[in-house]
Amino acid sequence: MQTFPLTLVAGPPGAGKTTWIRQQLDGAERFAYLNLGADAVRIDATYLAAEVPELVVWSSWLPELADFTKYQTYIELDFHIDLGSLVLPTEFADCHRVAVLPPGIRQTEWHDWADVIVTGTETRVPLQPPQLWRSLLTGQVLDFASLTTVWDELINGAYGHVQRAKGIFEVTDGRSLYFDFVAGDPEPTSTELDLPRWLEGRPNRFSGVEVVGEQLDETAIAQTLKDCCLDDRTLAYYQQQVREFLEDG
Amino acid sequence: MKIAVISCIHGNYEALNEVLLDIDRHQVEQIYCLGDLVGYGPYPNAVVEMIRSLDIPTCQGCWDEDVVEGLNACECSYPSLLAEKRGRLAHEWTNQEIHPETRSFLAQLPLSLRDGNLCFVHGSPHSQHEYMLPDMHAFTAMERVLATGADTLFCGHTHIPYVRQLESGQLQVRVSSGQSSQRPNQQTSNFSAPLKRIVNAGSVGEPRHGRTNATYVLYDAETEQVTLREVEYDYQKTCAAIVEKGLPSIFAWRLARGLEFAERADDPTHVCER
Amino acid sequence: MVIWAILSGIEGNLAAYEAVLADIKRQRQPVEELYILGDIIAATPASANVIQRIRSPRDHEPEPQVCRGWWEEQLLILHGSGRTGEPTELIEYYGAEQVKALWDAIPRSTVNWIQSLDFGFFELDCLLIHGSTVSVSDELTPNTPPIQMLDRLMRMDANYLFCGRSGLTFQYEIQQGSITSSVTTLDHTAPPQATLVKPRQVIGVGNVGRIPGQATYTLYNPYANQVEFRTVRYGPRKGFQSI
Repeated sequence: MQTFPLTLVAGPPGAGKTTWIRQQLDGAERFAYLNLGADAVRIDATYLAAEVPELVVWSSWLPELADFTKYQTYIELDFHIDLGSLVLPTEFADCHRVAVLPPGIRQTEWHDWADVIVTGTETRVPLQPPQLWRSLLTGQVLDFASLTTVWDELINGAYGHVQRAKGIFEVTDGRSLYFDFVAGDPEPTSTELDLPRWLEGRPNRFSGVEVVGEQLDETAIAQTLKDCCLDDRTLAYYQQQVREFLEDG
Repeated sequence: MKIAVISCIHGNYEALNEVLLDIDRHQVEQIYCLGDLVGYGPYPNAVVEMIRSLDIPTCQGCWDEDVVEGLNACECSYPSLLAEKRGRLAHEWTNQEIHPETRSFLAQLPLSLRDGNLCFVHGSPHSQHEYMLPDMHAFTAMERVLATGADTLFCGHTHIPYVRQLESGQLQVRVSSGQSSQRPNQQTSNFSAPLKRIVNAGSVGEPRHGRTNATYVLYDAETEQVTLREVEYDYQKTCAAIVEKGLPSIFAWRLARGLEFAERADDPTHVCER
Repeated sequence: MVIWAILSGIEGNLAAYEAVLADIKRQRQPVEELYILGDIIAATPASANVIQRIRSPRDHEPEPQVCRGWWEEQLLILHGSGRTGEPTELIEYYGAEQVKALWDAIPRSTVNWIQSLDFGFFELDCLLIHGSTVSVSDELTPNTPPIQMLDRLMRMDANYLFCGRSGLTFQYEIQQGSITSSVTTLDHTAPPQATLVKPRQVIGVGNVGRIPGQATYTLYNPYANQVEFRTVRYGPRKGFQSI
């Protein structure tokens, strides 16, 4: 039977799965990435694609089996996918299994499942399955000051206890920003993705947000994010201003 | 004579009550209030009734004006879309909640008050919406005090109390006038500004200095000494009332962190032209 | 070399405006920019001709850049699009009968154009405006207190403020200044800090149309920062007319 250069990566939210994959991609060629379980909210895939332009990103289970022979492929398993019931093609039976886990935890189903345990970031593994809230924001543009306010409120517990939050947001000046937060991490990060500024109409590229936590007030998060979004007229006005500013400058 | 100056109560009755008790303990002869009695908080009518019944001279704040005149703040006075939407929610709620007598009390408030060499305004002498922050250019700050003719200017609006002393101000100017620059009538003169002070009274009901305590100031007219006061109150009660009365619960969350309900404008000296 | 001509207060006086245009053409250094700082109209029917003339510059004349003045503001108030609802200043200075005169004098067809005028211009480090950064009614004169002048300059962070409300020609230089400030907050006391002022100036650009037979305006070289006030005499009394 043919074998495939394939690595499955699992672990709790915020442990550093995407970060670990990002590190493997440095300096190498012919890599592919697939995120299982993220559905339409492709935050990790969009982030990796912007960081590593050569990376091939499969956005759903579309590749043919033959494609897996051409690339060194990383499949990131979303935490809510039950490892026990995960059914993969039989050809993948001897793939490499990596669990990225926070330091100090023992005897989890990840330990039984993985070939290799990678120690990731400190994060609290919840006793109960956490709540997951996702929202696709593609086409929406947020005002930056509003975004930083709502993000600050979100990660500081205004809408419930947040364990993990990440998002890709389009802002008024055309940039695409990546926000990343893990509870207990002293420095939540936000970076600008290396993508061209989108200054003509509504951006036709992925943006979205994912929040993992407990007692999340999903309605309030959704409404507050909506309140940060620009209407067509305001968006057109600011885009013109930014275009003029960039042309002058 | 000792006076107390309070500002920016924003419908927070619990905080006002506690501040008035603290003032009682300091043998104060007169209390002045710098406006923003309403807006964001849950008890606009009770706050106005308290101020009215105690006969506290009060000048009109921007929120008091907006409730009387209809929302007048332009979008540029909000730092973000979110702050604007929240401001509108608070405005609409307050507008529904207040009694006619509350509205007519707010309508008759003057823009400034004078007591000897002291002047009292909400934002600045030029506008209820202007923020006189402690790092405002010293000459701009001096202009604001001189515009009133007073020696000490009391203001609020920024929600962070401070005392600023301005001294040794001097400017050298040369003025040429006349119809022709060939034969100018030229004059050089020096101008020196006397010592002036700006006292920001902070906020009773919506603190922003990073703690939940209410703030106000005491002023001793004899010694000219200013004391910034910080008063603990049961903010949980106000937070509970915010949620109970149907105001957005994010206001309670922010109040409990000393964060103010909404952010302040980025360009604090900006005054809307509309 | 770039020269700007800056003028204000034509106030419906076409002959005065023509005399200034003629003087501009006679300059040895060609004038590249023409700024008109408001008050092109007054409550006179002749104002319509001035608007017409400004909107159709002839060949080799610079395209005038016009901002809103006090008279334009009064007109817009009457048409319900000013910044206040009532023409209180107009009545106070000129009497109630001028309200009707102004309404009648300016054709409705030009009101939209007047409404589209800018409040002022910011070019290089120069602010060009009718009154000041405060309002079209703010009158700066050689006698305005220095701190007020400085405030008007700093509101837009301009090094040069050209204005026309007073109708006077003057150059008001703030050469230097300093002030000491100390701030005490709940959490700490900052030591006194000195703030210095860099040189800035306010320039009154004169008035074209108010005094019959005599117009004043300003030429400015923005790279050499040179100001020259011009006085132009015109009309039958001087024996020539430049039209």
